[in-house]
Amino acid sequence: MTKSIETMWKEGFVNETQLTAPKVNDLYNRKSQNIVDKLLNMFAINIKMLLIGSVLMVLMMSLIGAPLFGIYVCILLVPLIVIAKKELKRSVDISKGQSSYDYLINFDNWLKHSIETYARYYRIFYPLFFLGMATRAVISKAGGKIIALLMEKFPTDVVILGLPYYLFMALACIGFIIVKYADALYRLDLNIVYGRQFKKLDELIKDMKSLRRTP
Amino acid sequence: MGSDFYQLSILPYAGIIIKICRAYTNSQEDFEDYYQEVCLQIWRSKDNFNQQSEWSTWIYRISLNVCLTYMKRRKTGDKAFVSDSLPDDVIDDSKAFVNDDINELYSAIKHLTETNRAVILLYLEEKTYDEIAEIMGTNANNIGVRIARIKERLSKFISEKD
Repeated sequence: MTKSIETMWKEGFVNETQLTAPKVNDLYNRKSQNIVDKLLNMFAINIKMLLIGSVLMVLMMSLIGAPLFGIYVCILLVPLIVIAKKELKRSVDISKGQSSYDYLINFDNWLKHSIETYARYYRIFYPLFFLGMATRAVISKAGGKIIALLMEKFPTDVVILGLPYYLFMALACIGFIIVKYADALYRLDLNIVYGRQFKKLDELIKDMKSLRRTP
Repeated sequence: MGSDFYQLSILPYAGIIIKICRAYTNSQEDFEDYYQEVCLQIWRSKDNFNQQSEWSTWIYRISLNVCLTYMKRRKTGDKAFVSDSLPDDVIDDSKAFVNDDINELYSAIKHLTETNRAVILLYLEEKTYDEIAEIMGTNANNIGVRIARIKERLSKFISEKD
């Protein structure tokens, strides 16, 4: 190597013809590939889907004769819409014109806060959703028939809330598992989609932090 | 995008964007996608420009920040940051520039971490240590030490290739 890297750079670009801008196509309508924008987009889509889902739930459940369950699920979905809207608003602080360190740190903080807020709600949502479903199943006609059949095959005097104790215990066990793993379920779901990117973000921040440390 | 904004505020600085994009991409296709993404983000962020720094510094910041968090679905189906380091045989734009020295230098730069790529690009663009520190969000003393290390690594890489 005879030239310094500074000389290579300076002299190399004097007559460089490849510094002509590539053709840009329909830039304004382009879909962003930036991870921040992708997540923001995801929140925005979530809000729409949740709104549509809530209305559909009430309609469909009403059609099959369970309007109360439809309203119940709809009420459960409302906080998710509120959370998504709040997180979308908070993201305005993530300006790409900040220093790289501030940008990555602010993005990471926003991301962690969002995940934590969602995870906290899902810890309540999943068990309540299961509780609603189980209650609906038990009080339905088909549920009543199954319970009657169970009582006939496995008779017992121990009845809890109108259910044979073993059915109650089974439902309680499933409920317990859902309560225990609701948080993990949400994080697993998120990790499948964004796990690699989150890991990469952590590595970037680590590298940025090492740049800030005294040499 | 208003074509006036692109013509007046981005195109004169295309060289900066191209130099940065090339350091974080490994193919012509990625490079063009990335260039467009940076332009889009500059346009979207223009209202946040507070004129405390120069417009060119703003472009460096946005280019680097976008570059560090740009995601793309690869042919294999998995989504990845474009800047993910790839083996040499996958890098297909080793002749991206006419000048061989530049190609050689870029080839070496692509073996650095994302942060180091940003630091050395700013240094080669003759930004002062203070300016680099401001763009990266660190202090100027650390930048000096880091640049010395990066230069050493680059020289070693280029010498080994020669």
